[in-house]
Amino acid sequence: MANEDDIRELVIARLETAPEGLGLSFGGVGELSKLQQIEHVRAGDEIGKRIMEVQMNFLTSLKEGLINNEALYE
Amino acid sequence: MNKSVLTTRPEYEYTTRYISVWAERVVEFAKQKGFAVFDLAKQRATKQQVESMMEKHRPGLVFLNGHGNNSCVTGQDEEILVEAGLNEEILSDTITYALSCSSAQTLGQAAVEKGTRAYIGYSRDFALMFDDEKRTRPQDDKVADLFLTPSNQVMVSLLKGHTAQEAHESSVKYFKKNLRKLLTSTSTDKESATIPYLLWDMQSQVVVGDGLSKLEQN
Repeated sequence: MANEDDIRELVIARLETAPEGLGLSFGGVGELSKLQQIEHVRAGDEIGKRIMEVQMNFLTSLKEGLINNEALYE
Repeated sequence: MNKSVLTTRPEYEYTTRYISVWAERVVEFAKQKGFAVFDLAKQRATKQQVESMMEKHRPGLVFLNGHGNNSCVTGQDEEILVEAGLNEEILSDTITYALSCSSAQTLGQAAVEKGTRAYIGYSRDFALMFDDEKRTRPQDDKVADLFLTPSNQVMVSLLKGHTAQEAHESSVKYFKKNLRKLLTSTSTDKESATIPYLLWDMQSQVVVGDGLSKLEQN
């Protein structure tokens, strides 16, 4: 089972492939750039943990088939 | 329940500017449908104005936009407008939709206990993404559109006379439609990057209270 460090590295790797020029408003700390999101995840602070949770929720949902074509047509 | 709606649209930084601009579409739609609209925008999005308008006009629908946490929704300059344990009773006899982080968790529950018919909101932080190139023109931002059109659908559906549960399901349908579109190869990199956050928002939207409540069309 992956530990938190593994998950953090996975999320950072995902965020690093994201395009530039997108802002994220999440958790009430203002608008975050891609770099700021990565910094928060690396720091393991509250916002970083929430970003990790969102990304892992997506990957888990993908794995469990919750966002395949069939599920999205229900 | 009367055919009127109160909206709060604070606007003091990028996020609130975005949601305010997009919420204005709901205001215009409500007016087209013949609703009396009490639109508390910018400096008018204050606790004093909200409480005064709610007491005086008793709107049937309430649309709260702004920052918040699990126990409150804020207005202009993050002034608390409605807070659990403080004044949630002002929402009694309404169907309320709050585009605000986490407020369904505690405020929504408290409001329903004090007489709110239904409270549609988010049980976790609401994520919003936007295109940096469109910051000065939120209305043209196709990335933000992915989040805010499904959100607006809650109010559009309520204004059409659907129940709270139907309004929620209609919003979820729009989220799913956007996710289906984004999961194809024709979406741009920027659009695809929103998928985890769109999924998060869709899964976080909840209805507290009576899902069958709706605004009666007289």
